[in-house]
Amino acid sequence: MTANSVIGTSVARHDLPDKLTGEAKYTSDISLPGMLHGKVIRSPHPHARIVGISTSAIDGTPGVHAVLTPFNVPEGRLAPDVPILDRVARYVGDEVAAVAADDEDLAEYAASLIEVEYEPLPFVTTAREAVEPNSPPVHPGGNLVGGEPLTLTRGDVDEGFEEADRTFSMSFSTPAHSPAPLEPRAAVAAWEDGRLTVWKTSRGVHADRLSLASALGVERDNVRVVGATLGAGFGGKDESRLSVIAAELARRAGKPVKIEATREEEFVAGRKRHSTETTVKIGVKNDGTVTAIHATTLMDTGAYLASGPGVVRRAGQAALYLYRCANVRYDGYLVYTNQPSAASYRALGAPQGHFALEVTMNHIADELGIDPLEFRLRNHVGIEGQAGERITPTNEIIDTQPVEGGIPFSSNGLRECLESGAEAFGWNERQADDSQSAGHIKTGSGMSMFIYRGGPGGRSSARVRLNADGSVQLVAGLMDVGEGSTTVMAQIVAEALGVPYDSVRVTFGDTADTPEAPITAGSTATFSTGTAAKQAAEALKAKILNAVATHMDDDVSALDIVDGSVVSEDGNVRLRLADVAAMVGENVLDADASVMPGSRDHIVNSFGAHFAEVEVDTETGNVRVVRYVAAHDSGRILNPQLATNQVEGGVSQMLGFTLSEEMLTDPQSGVTLNASLLEHKSPTVKEYPPIEVIFADVVDPIGPFGAKALGEPPSVGPAPTIVNAIYDAIGVRITDLPATPDKILGALNRREEA
Amino acid sequence: MATFTAQIDLDVNGDVCRVEVRHHWTLLRVLRESLGLTGAKRGCDRGECGSCTVLLDGKPVYACQMLALQAVGRSITTVEALGDSERLHPVQQAFLDNDGAQCGYCTPGFLLSAKALLDEKREPSEGDIREALSGNLCRCNAYGRIIESVKQAAVRE
Repeated sequence: MTANSVIGTSVARHDLPDKLTGEAKYTSDISLPGMLHGKVIRSPHPHARIVGISTSAIDGTPGVHAVLTPFNVPEGRLAPDVPILDRVARYVGDEVAAVAADDEDLAEYAASLIEVEYEPLPFVTTAREAVEPNSPPVHPGGNLVGGEPLTLTRGDVDEGFEEADRTFSMSFSTPAHSPAPLEPRAAVAAWEDGRLTVWKTSRGVHADRLSLASALGVERDNVRVVGATLGAGFGGKDESRLSVIAAELARRAGKPVKIEATREEEFVAGRKRHSTETTVKIGVKNDGTVTAIHATTLMDTGAYLASGPGVVRRAGQAALYLYRCANVRYDGYLVYTNQPSAASYRALGAPQGHFALEVTMNHIADELGIDPLEFRLRNHVGIEGQAGERITPTNEIIDTQPVEGGIPFSSNGLRECLESGAEAFGWNERQADDSQSAGHIKTGSGMSMFIYRGGPGGRSSARVRLNADGSVQLVAGLMDVGEGSTTVMAQIVAEALGVPYDSVRVTFGDTADTPEAPITAGSTATFSTGTAAKQAAEALKAKILNAVATHMDDDVSALDIVDGSVVSEDGNVRLRLADVAAMVGENVLDADASVMPGSRDHIVNSFGAHFAEVEVDTETGNVRVVRYVAAHDSGRILNPQLATNQVEGGVSQMLGFTLSEEMLTDPQSGVTLNASLLEHKSPTVKEYPPIEVIFADVVDPIGPFGAKALGEPPSVGPAPTIVNAIYDAIGVRITDLPATPDKILGALNRREEA
Repeated sequence: MATFTAQIDLDVNGDVCRVEVRHHWTLLRVLRESLGLTGAKRGCDRGECGSCTVLLDGKPVYACQMLALQAVGRSITTVEALGDSERLHPVQQAFLDNDGAQCGYCTPGFLLSAKALLDEKREPSEGDIREALSGNLCRCNAYGRIIESVKQAAVRE
């Protein structure tokens, strides 16, 4: 890095001025001339066949322009198990029909007059029941996805358990909870001469375009998707059914159509985190050496598959890879139920898997009389990776979530996170157990560690262009979902090109202008599109220097771009980029890069260790997080202020998962009981604890300017960290999240009775 | 579908605007759809999230929880009146400098709650700040940066 490097500085968030003034346009802020409003009719049954739909009450009503039903939709599909509208409803809230009318009031009224005849079918609302032999199938082929569990092994767990002096087994459950982005999903669709434009709440405009084109039977080139400013998603907004419905209504009505989900719809139809039941069995030697780990997870994907296979896979990675261990096994059961569909939510299955593993490990450390930090320092996976033999062919990119051993990490700051986090927290000076002390407020400390994939995503592209005014344009198909990728990509381009940060303009999120890009997901944006942006900027730099050198009559000494000007080593040349642009005229200088990010020799992973102090009120059962330390290895931190915000936000968001949030479904009716922000109980500013964020001093040799994944990792640590602290405070291990006051008091009562 | 309409005058950001509204329309709906002031957001439409917060005679209210008819004769302030990107209001500037947002959907509401607090109390404690902002949800949980932003705005004002 040069002295005036923009990498590692906290430049202000690129898109913040527009957000602070109300100028930023989110999807629901978009209004087109003659635009209609759409309303979706949703199933009141958890499982039912749609026998017929009568629209006679609204036929010919002025202002009602189009009705969409399972009997008149195009045959395309959004996913193998998701047609545009289906003749079977699979959860309470499933999309059944839709109507478009002049305004919202009329659309709502018209929707209430559409009569749907249902034939209720047997249904099942828990994963446990769904896998039983005679359970009603949610989809043809049975409820266990793929007909068998996902089983992954390294070594031989049976041998590992035989080697063990002691074996421990614990069982856990985690709830479904909603990402509940403050912006409910929305879409605006308009057709012109057979070409469709959709503005939508998107985290991947190119993926959405494919989905829309395939569902609607339109050529991809005739679909344009514009990602408006996104009011966050945390993973939940990677589906496109609402936008497909809006587009088909618009096609029939011959007018633009807007659909905005209500808050209740966002909760019920907006996708949630998979609920799980996990059993962890671990074998250890008396000295704390881990000889075998076997985790089994039962996961409820709800009515549709969505990203379920990826989630059930990710839930196993902690058991497979976080501890140095030769014999590991993971069995993941992904199950359909007549619940609202689960899908991606920040860090996918990792929080569930780490919760089970890291609480069990604390139990083991306590039983062996080893400090939990010391236990982890002895056993965490090191930079050399796991023992074993590489299976991936040497010319192939290494999966960021491997099972096999024999592959080192590109960098691994886990030990530094454990040590620096412990020092910042004062782990070794922490208060001794006060569960027996007088008074009803008990204090406790807890910690945990994690490993997370991310970084290398799919093929990523970027284009960088020198504008006529000397500014630089970065064009990429990425979406900034609120995390700040616009800012960080501009920093990367500025650094690679040698121009001031302020001179980089960014075009994102519109399929009309941008090259293909994967969705902003899996903590891959900085690493993947960042690598492409860096390469494109470097290529543009070479072109600019070449153009200048060619233009100069005499031999020039070595050229470079410094602070936005082309300069020669001997100081004889100093040319502003605006002058270079004028010099080349119509021969616009630009460069593309398309990369498959990753490594053929190393695993690229992020790591971290979290520490918390809690107060538990044994009279009310209330848990308060007093302070929190989050130590992260995400490689070099490109923008410390944005990164800190990301970590603080991820930790605070998951206080909800740990202590209060849960999507509740009535097993008798399949109805979601708490589809509101008040009853879903997300953290407010009042619960926000002081969070100290530490970044390990790691520069990854592969990531752009040394960066690795950051977006999701903060979500992984809070649950086990806080639950371990609760145990330290009151001597009770909570195994069922969320750790609500009733569970704390119930556990205390059971302990007293015992 | 029977609807009842009325012509009303609303005092919004210092301008009196005549609008035709249906009786049941909320202030939020009229601001966003009739007046095109989309800074106030519809996060829940049921008084739970605070992303529609505007100032009514200087006090923060949920614009989704009152009818437009009820706002007649009152002074309404939306985020659009605070400052533009060339000349940010001190509260906006403090949010920019301290990264007091992520996705930005809740931000207009937080800015107005913070402004109302600072108009009333020049030197709020951290407890005052948390209390004043507790009716605004941020699902990105950028609360740490938001608290810092308001603290700094208090010092600057």
